[in-house]
Amino acid sequence: MKNTPKLLALSVLACALGAAGARAGLTAGMKEGNPALKSINQLAFGPEGVLFIADTKAAAIVAIATGDTRPASGAAMIKAEAINRKIAALLGTAADQIVIEDLAVNPLSRAAYLAVSRGRGPDASPVLVRVKADGQPEIVALEHVNFSRAALPDAPDDAVMGAGKRARNPRLEAITDIAYAEGRVVVAGLSNEEFASTLRAIAFPFEKVERGTAVEIYHGAHGAYETRAPVRTFVPYKVGQESHLLAAYTCTPLVQFALSELKPGAKIQGKTIAEFGNRNRPLDIIVYQKDGQDFLLLANSARGVMKVAAEQITGATPITAKVADTKGLAFEKIDWAGVNQLDRLDNRYAVVVRAGQGGAQNIETLALP
Amino acid sequence: MGNRDASTLGLQLRRALGMALAVLFLCAGSIARAQYTIRWVSDPASTAVEVQGIPRDAMAALESAPPATIVWPQLFAVYAEQAIDPGAPMPPMPPIAGTWKIARGKLRFEPRFPFTRGVAYRAEFWPGRLPGPLGSPAQLLGPMVSGRQPGPVISFFELPRDKETPMTGVMQIYPSAELLPENQLKFYVHFSGPMSRGGIYEHVQLRDGSGKEIELPFLELDEELWDPTMTRVTLLIDPGRIKRGVKPLEDIGPVFAEGQSYTLAIKPTWRDASGRPLRGGFEKTFRVGPADRTPPDPKRWKLSYVPPAGTQGPLMVHFDEPMDRALALRLIAVHRVGKAGAKSSRVDGEIVLDEQERRWMLMPLGPWTPGAYRLVVATTIEDLAGNNIGKTFDVELAAGAKRPLTASSVSVAFEVK
Repeated sequence: MKNTPKLLALSVLACALGAAGARAGLTAGMKEGNPALKSINQLAFGPEGVLFIADTKAAAIVAIATGDTRPASGAAMIKAEAINRKIAALLGTAADQIVIEDLAVNPLSRAAYLAVSRGRGPDASPVLVRVKADGQPEIVALEHVNFSRAALPDAPDDAVMGAGKRARNPRLEAITDIAYAEGRVVVAGLSNEEFASTLRAIAFPFEKVERGTAVEIYHGAHGAYETRAPVRTFVPYKVGQESHLLAAYTCTPLVQFALSELKPGAKIQGKTIAEFGNRNRPLDIIVYQKDGQDFLLLANSARGVMKVAAEQITGATPITAKVADTKGLAFEKIDWAGVNQLDRLDNRYAVVVRAGQGGAQNIETLALP
Repeated sequence: MGNRDASTLGLQLRRALGMALAVLFLCAGSIARAQYTIRWVSDPASTAVEVQGIPRDAMAALESAPPATIVWPQLFAVYAEQAIDPGAPMPPMPPIAGTWKIARGKLRFEPRFPFTRGVAYRAEFWPGRLPGPLGSPAQLLGPMVSGRQPGPVISFFELPRDKETPMTGVMQIYPSAELLPENQLKFYVHFSGPMSRGGIYEHVQLRDGSGKEIELPFLELDEELWDPTMTRVTLLIDPGRIKRGVKPLEDIGPVFAEGQSYTLAIKPTWRDASGRPLRGGFEKTFRVGPADRTPPDPKRWKLSYVPPAGTQGPLMVHFDEPMDRALALRLIAVHRVGKAGAKSSRVDGEIVLDEQERRWMLMPLGPWTPGAYRLVVATTIEDLAGNNIGKTFDVELAAGAKRPLTASSVSVAFEVK
């Protein structure tokens, strides 16, 4: 869903230098065909138009070479009114029968990609939809694409049971967010059985998927170690010289992890650097630069959109004591009502899916605060 | 609800208007266009909309035109009507995605997805944009500009909705025990048929003994924790609202308090996969006892019946507390210990959990053979409070507590004679 500005700058530079070797490297292992998605959930763009799709039902991350790498001409600004109804119309159904699962903006072409489920039952069809500057949705055909796949391993516990005679394993891992950072796809997930949250880092191009990393955080609002709670949304960000993940949880602690600590089987403790308030679910988080400074923008279910100056992160005091309401990094409330999905278009604009009039969901391009 | 009624009314008005227009067009152009028929195909094998009666020369021109030069939706398009509130902006809606074919003298549109029940579909065929005597191929490339061109032939289609008669119900809520620990973590709701996803927390209510609703007791996840068949959903109590140690939470308080009783209610408004409401609501009332901070330990379990060799009797294990149902079914196995360093093999069979998730049984597929066995339990198994083997749910690592156990499984040995 997000890409750090620095990464983007690097990948643009790589393209500008005509790094054909690097390009072949990223998609070399891909094969042409139909990835046959069973479901479509979270999306994230990597370099060179590679789109990562979380397929929860298949317990897999699929990388697709979209080929959508031509830089957009001019300052294309997407605006699409009632995109939920337009997509329903395109897919030949009613708007209450589609679910917009996620939004990701291709940093190269500036087109918005939406993960859409057609239907709400077990037979729902996964559809990848692209919306360009004209605001019209189109289906991205996946029958003949270059793709590769990383199957998320069964929980290690499954080794105990083995395959056995029980044909149906009701265990599924809900993937709450994915992002690409420095040659790795980071996946946050939560099982529907064990109460265990995992973060996995999968090297891309895909080779071998490693076991997830169990992550524990201190949650100041609750005054105790909150173990195994699921990461809701996260963004890669460089603090000093080291790459980190900034992850937001329900009831809104913001927690910092070093990317290098995500090792197979490791149990790590994040550093809680902010408490943004109770009774709230964070939805999406992005990083952008303005006037030479980095900022975070966090969209929430109940507490609106928050802007945080990232310079506060270096040297932030970890929160290890009980917090009444909010603490840690200072934030500014941004008046963007009804934002359900948020992604970065560039350093000046964000693309959002937000609630409009009479049940409409609109795509809008908003100037970053 | 008001919105839904209003939008349905809006849709009906627009449908009626569409019908009137269609009749008008059909009457006005009845001589010139009587030849065209639109046929809707919707059966398990195929979904399509076909136009019959296109003159042979026009068909030949369509077939021979380079595909890229034909803007098919300008000639023949099918739309799914969208319900919109009166007064709300209605941007133009795109036609349904699909493919166009010329086959057996017909122009055939195959939508990418089958028709949805209860959705009104409209097909528009524009004979004036056909190549040949009525028009020229160039007309297919651009929008209609001249009022002289005949209007569209319009046809409507709708698959009747499934009967609203509710078919699906709640079968059971686990844990099935009537006494739960104060730090109860999870509930599994089992349905008799597949359900629909989205906004599930609106249909679930947790009330205290006085009937007052508890605010935000669940960890609400947009992803929703369904099983693959969507007949089971997992509800997690917000881990931030589970009472810990002796210190109560001050801000929004714990969900459960010892000594009180509660009701978990499933409302009948929850829709199944076909969009029907449930047969009825379902309630589970339970009392709450002391918090459980003792990790489960298979050493405290009792092998209450070890069947004799040669029989297919069930191996019975009694837990000293109820266990999480899904994990007890999946994470306990019996291995036959291999002789002299040979590999252990798993004993296949049917696993049953009963007595309010306190008794676990394995009925083997074949007779037991004499020898050494092990009951193997993954350490990630959980009791009702989410404690694992060797680890309580909310252990404070910072306090310097050493994780006592790193193994992925523990086992209890027994022998079949």
